[in-house]
Amino acid sequence: MRAVTNRSAAALLVLALVAAPPVIGALPNQIGAVRAAGVSLLWWYTGLVAPLVAALVALAALPDPPRRDE
Amino acid sequence: MTAGARFLAVWLTPALWLQMPALIAGRGPDGLWLALALALAPLVALASRSRAPAPAEAETAFPVAALLLAVGLLLWANLALAGDAAVWLGEPRWRGIATAGAGALLLVAWRGAGRAVPALLLVAALALGPPLLELARVAGVGPRAAWERVATQSAFRFPPSSPWVTEGRDLRLVHGGAALDFEEEHRLTAPVGGRLTALTVDGDRPSETEWALAPGQSVVLRAGDRLQSGSTARVRFEADKQVPGSPPSGMAWAAGNPPDWPRCAGLLVTIVFGAIALGRAGGRISRSEVAWLAGGGLVALFWSQAWAIYSILTSPDLFLGGLTAERLLAFPAPVPESIRSASQSCLLLAGFAGFLASSVALRERIAALDRTGDGAIGRDLGVWAGVFAIAGLAALWPVDGWSIARLGLGAAAASLGAARLVSHRPASPAGAAVAGSLGLIAFAAIAVAGRLRAGDEGWIGAIVAYPALVAVPLATLALRVARATAPRPRPRPRAR
Repeated sequence: MRAVTNRSAAALLVLALVAAPPVIGALPNQIGAVRAAGVSLLWWYTGLVAPLVAALVALAALPDPPRRDE
Repeated sequence: MTAGARFLAVWLTPALWLQMPALIAGRGPDGLWLALALALAPLVALASRSRAPAPAEAETAFPVAALLLAVGLLLWANLALAGDAAVWLGEPRWRGIATAGAGALLLVAWRGAGRAVPALLLVAALALGPPLLELARVAGVGPRAAWERVATQSAFRFPPSSPWVTEGRDLRLVHGGAALDFEEEHRLTAPVGGRLTALTVDGDRPSETEWALAPGQSVVLRAGDRLQSGSTARVRFEADKQVPGSPPSGMAWAAGNPPDWPRCAGLLVTIVFGAIALGRAGGRISRSEVAWLAGGGLVALFWSQAWAIYSILTSPDLFLGGLTAERLLAFPAPVPESIRSASQSCLLLAGFAGFLASSVALRERIAALDRTGDGAIGRDLGVWAGVFAIAGLAALWPVDGWSIARLGLGAAAASLGAARLVSHRPASPAGAAVAGSLGLIAFAAIAVAGRLRAGDEGWIGAIVAYPALVAVPLATLALRVARATAPRPRPRPRAR
């Protein structure tokens, strides 16, 4: 049951990571367009942070635990 | 390992992953968001995986038929892309379609082809590397500096080395002969003559003008003029003039557009439920399966970003008339011919290997669903030859591959997506088939209506553009009703 709960939470988290860029793009004062190291925050998040975090979350939470006989 | 590789190959079919750099280059952050959704959707699908149907459950033919429809649409999108790429590289359209289709059909006919999927994916990934390194070498900057340069350009202008400036190109190559809107005065020269039609603005009145140009003759178009589709001349543009169809500036490209919430929702539903529908049901999720999907998505997304940014930095003329995937398959940078042809070969190899892997994985996916026929449909050469023949014939007409791929994902989402999500107490197979049919009929009806009346805004426009937005909830509702009205299964007697 715990694996199922973890998996649902992981699915929701990955979905939230995917859904966030339009929200960042709609923030007031164009916060997403602020540049950090020459690149906009929106681009840093969508192009680098979100995919890396999603991959780590998936690797940590999605696999079934190994069987005892494995 | 193969389960993850197969799902990756099913999902990242070339019509989808080659669309990623085109979307990023064409739409900036809006396209990057789409690419992110495409890269991560398989992970959401994996986490939402439903239980496998019990062997004793009666099976209906509906899931097989629905998936075959979606697979046919995805093959159509891929073959249309192969045809577009052939035309862009100067070959006849049918040759690109026939080469890709025949190669994939031969591999699909081989029973043991499923074992080759991981190797084909690795070939595709490795073949993408050298052209990207060459493009970065030509640009002479790292990815971060390249992005910064693109985002600070005052306008995207024709470079003097562009083939549109040096020798000129046929206007019919521009995105199916799309109309070109001019933002500044521009002199067009027809080196071998031809016919140009333009909508020119004279005072307040627009008027259509047609020119029959002799070889070497020029015509001047002013800001606000539109070169109509159907112009047949090979033309040369002037260097350092703004590319018609390009974003107003690099800053505008980097900022993107304010989000259109209904369309964002429609796209997300189509992509996520499409991935859920194309993924398999049941079975253990191994760490290697997750690693394949996460790693493949990351590679595709990072490569697409770098390819898109370097491409528009070295060849802003890619924007002419709207950016499409096949244009990015032709190596865009100005380099010696030997390097260009080697890089193009690598890109074509990557696309071809990806298409082979995808075709085999789609066949395996359908075969896995066909439990009553013991997977016979996956080995039925007649069925597959028919599917490839129909998709190939349809691809002879130039169509937008991305629209067809979205249609395939939407059809899969509407017919199978809802049933895949129900895990703890599913409806009977007949109930699931009725719910899926309802979703598919709604999807098809809205898609046809969308062809008849396009251009709506707001939620209506989003539903017309992404019919899965209505079809998936409808199928889910029907499934819940079917589940509520189905008799509860008797508990099994405990063994003593």
